[in-house]
Amino acid sequence: MAKTKEISRRIKSIGNTKKITRAMEMVAAAKMRKAIEAVLRTRTYANLSWETVLHLSAMANGDGELRHPLLTNRAETKKAAIILITSNRGMCGAYNTAVISKAKESIKLHPDVPVEFILVGKKGATVYSQKQIVAAEFPKSDALTDSAEVVPIIKMAIADFLSAKYDKVFVAYTDFVSPAKQVPRVKQLLPVDIKAEDEFLGIVGDPKVSVTKDLIAEKGKQHLHANSGFEYIFEPSPEEVLDKIIPRLLEVQIYQALLEANASEHSSRMSAMHQATEAATEMVSELTLFYNKARQAGITAEIAEISAGANALLD
Amino acid sequence: MADKKTIKFEIVTPENTVLSKEIIQVTVPTQDGEITILPEHIPLVSILRPGVLEIKTIDQEMEIVSVSGGFIDVLRDKVVILADTAERAEELDEERIVAAKTKAESAKAEALNHEDYDLSAVSVKLEVALARERALHKWRKLKNVK
Repeated sequence: MAKTKEISRRIKSIGNTKKITRAMEMVAAAKMRKAIEAVLRTRTYANLSWETVLHLSAMANGDGELRHPLLTNRAETKKAAIILITSNRGMCGAYNTAVISKAKESIKLHPDVPVEFILVGKKGATVYSQKQIVAAEFPKSDALTDSAEVVPIIKMAIADFLSAKYDKVFVAYTDFVSPAKQVPRVKQLLPVDIKAEDEFLGIVGDPKVSVTKDLIAEKGKQHLHANSGFEYIFEPSPEEVLDKIIPRLLEVQIYQALLEANASEHSSRMSAMHQATEAATEMVSELTLFYNKARQAGITAEIAEISAGANALLD
Repeated sequence: MADKKTIKFEIVTPENTVLSKEIIQVTVPTQDGEITILPEHIPLVSILRPGVLEIKTIDQEMEIVSVSGGFIDVLRDKVVILADTAERAEELDEERIVAAKTKAESAKAEALNHEDYDLSAVSVKLEVALARERALHKWRKLKNVK
């Protein structure tokens, strides 16, 4: 009897867990829908603005006299920073692990460059235990409504880049492809550079249309003067325009990265919780089988005992 | 219009794509004043100020759009406007604009009396409201004339 009691207790507790995971799945699904809407709304803007920034950078790194500190590559990379975007809460499958290991993979490719992390989201704190240096931590609100939230992050990144604390700034985030697929990515933010290694290039959003150098060169040929290369006119003046446009557009990039990360987080939480619910269902049915078997065994044993006792009396 | 030179024109804001069309000319309010862009314009980047965009589409229709600032990126046969916010004139609501305007005006008057208030932020709000109002009036005039 003791065994059946134990099993029934387990069935009950798994049933309760299942209720929770199912509720979480539904909440995540609702949040995901909202997050996806937000991501799709901003994507066109983010992609077009990134294109503009890359055009500008192609020009700034050409032989023109135009130079802007945010667009210019430094001779050597002494130190780099990675803005790591993670979730605030767990229970979302491999979401955080995937983006962190992607970031660490990129670090491994350049072992001689020390890297500091700038964390956005609470779960990024796991890099502390992996002996990484963390320069700053920013809170992340669960429902992102306003691009004003990213202003402090980008301000710090730009200031530290200009003061030569870092020679390169990357952002590591999870790109939202579809509710079933999320891709962790590392993207070079500063300096904005069209010649950056392909591994770090990419338009936020669609991995299929990620920008490569060929595409930009082609665009240049199509839209800009064939013989003068990337020549832009700036009004009022190049400095003024670039000073205004680049920080704003970088802000949009980070904002978009955050939105992508949010949508990815909710989708991966949803699928993780869905799997958990399914696993719980399976476990409950298996345990119920065990329970019935144990119950039956108990009854059989009891009957055997009684009939054995009756037989003994008859003798 | 013997030659059919057109521009691929797009206005996007962080919220949505406001307009995406083939056009033949567009007038935009930049910081240094209004400029009109025709096909084959030289590549240009400029900062927009709050104001009214006048767009002539390929079927000679006029479109009026108000913007609250942003950037314009002109490529050989393509114009992209990265606006902070933008509304097509027919979607504007006069009551709300007037309410926003009076609010912005009173806020500006208040900011003028207090030195520690951020006057520039308030002025921008007022400018945006005024730009929307202008866009609406222009659009009405255009439709009445027709």
